[in-house]
Amino acid sequence: MEDTIVYAHKLSKTFKQKEAVRNVSFSIAKGEVVAMLGPNGAGKTTTLSLVLGLLKPTKGKVQVFQQPPQSMHVRERIGVMLQEVRMMDGLKTKEMLQLFRSYYPNPLALSEMIALTGLADADLTKKVEKLSGGQRRRVNFAVCLAGDPDFIVLDEPTAGMDTTSRAKFWKTIHHLAERGKTILFSTHYLQEADDTAKRIILLHQGQKIADRATEEIKHQLSRQYVSFRLNGKLNRAKLDMPDVLAIEEREERIYLETKNTDALISYIMQHFSNAYDLRIDKGSMDDVFETLVQGSREK
Amino acid sequence: MNKILYSCIAEVKRAIRNPYYVLWSLLIPVCFYIIFTKVFTFNDNAADQALWEAHYLMSMAAFSVMGSSVMTVGIRLVQDKQQGFITFLKVTPLPEYVYIISQMVGQSVIHILSIVVIFFAGALLNDVSLMAMQWVLSGVWILFGSLVFLALGTLVGTMNKVETASGVSNILFLGLALLGGMWMPLNAMPTLLQDIATWLPSYHYANGPWEIIRGNSPAWNNIFMLIVFLCLFMVLSVYIRRKQEGL
Repeated sequence: MEDTIVYAHKLSKTFKQKEAVRNVSFSIAKGEVVAMLGPNGAGKTTTLSLVLGLLKPTKGKVQVFQQPPQSMHVRERIGVMLQEVRMMDGLKTKEMLQLFRSYYPNPLALSEMIALTGLADADLTKKVEKLSGGQRRRVNFAVCLAGDPDFIVLDEPTAGMDTTSRAKFWKTIHHLAERGKTILFSTHYLQEADDTAKRIILLHQGQKIADRATEEIKHQLSRQYVSFRLNGKLNRAKLDMPDVLAIEEREERIYLETKNTDALISYIMQHFSNAYDLRIDKGSMDDVFETLVQGSREK
Repeated sequence: MNKILYSCIAEVKRAIRNPYYVLWSLLIPVCFYIIFTKVFTFNDNAADQALWEAHYLMSMAAFSVMGSSVMTVGIRLVQDKQQGFITFLKVTPLPEYVYIISQMVGQSVIHILSIVVIFFAGALLNDVSLMAMQWVLSGVWILFGSLVFLALGTLVGTMNKVETASGVSNILFLGLALLGGMWMPLNAMPTLLQDIATWLPSYHYANGPWEIIRGNSPAWNNIFMLIVFLCLFMVLSVYIRRKQEGL
């Protein structure tokens, strides 16, 4: 239990009749990098706010470092980047970073904060309110790292970043993960979750619908297709076999959904002499996501 | 301890870099002072005029400090709340009350500057001459009395919209100044308004230095009323904050 960073048990949050989060449980161990994935309105921000103690759960319990999330011990050891926070105006970037460093018992060196977040010298002497949106995100990220946190929580961290900043940002996150930091971030970009997190918690309409290793989720649920073109008409009866999960015809191609691409290809080679241009398509994360969300709807 | 110290230093920097500060806390009070002592004169004999010049100087110093207490602190707190900064503070090791206290301390340091500048303006423009002790006591009274209005500022700071806060604090500030006798002498106003004034914190605030420059000491009644208002504003502000936390 010493290594449990977050323990969330049956969390529910209701806002004026509307249930934003329903019965969500999970725990995060030291050193894990976890993505909280879900479409807009899935309850990601609410769940993170509950973990951070910014909201009180209607039901359930949450602990961070075995303590209530509002406790000073927790606040000194976490680094947080929330959506749409504008830092105090009237201070220069460097002054503000120094100010936040003074709040923590073991702050990160200023030079390191700057190196990690890629703030330029020119940004440091500017007042925070004069910075562009992208630069402000960097400042917020630097402030998040001010206390050299053991646990980093990021709510939609790359929203509003351009492609270059985004790549740089995730590189830093990978670097921090290698240093043994525990990281929890929310995103609605599947690619980001796939690239960075070892584990994905999938939320949909306030409920947890999956919580597994990223690879496992992809493997178990990835759809695979064998597709080909045909001279002549398709005799569907010939495809009535267990390996074929679904048949779809579009753009003059026939798509067969399957879990066993190898067996299906050899079957087609043998039985469809008029087939040509065979192709295998592996499902992307987007397909996985669709499948999971649909699965939860059918339940 | 360092947290508080560094926060206060940061707040002093923020306060002095605020462009509205110079306008509202220095320029406008000094302009009013010039208008009401140089342009319009109500007094026929020289002795009365000299007293009026000292009296109005105290009014303007109190007016300036009261204004920046209510307006700056209140509006800034609402702004910080609206921009998500207050929420963000809750996940950092800086308690919200330390942030609010540092705002008050930072603003008070700036008030020393306001008081000195306005007193100097009086001494230079109108040769207002008081005993050293009277200058110091009036300054100290205005500085510490402003705590009441800083507390009122934190009460304004519980509002959710900058527009509302700025409207409300403007009305409060100007209303308190006018009805408390800071703009024109109370005895020039109708009796009804004079009666109202004795129930306002602004009157009790300004009356301290008004008595001091006349060689009297401030009435106990003034101190008592200021403490009552201070407690009232603080309790309300804390109560509303607690209630908002509950969400």
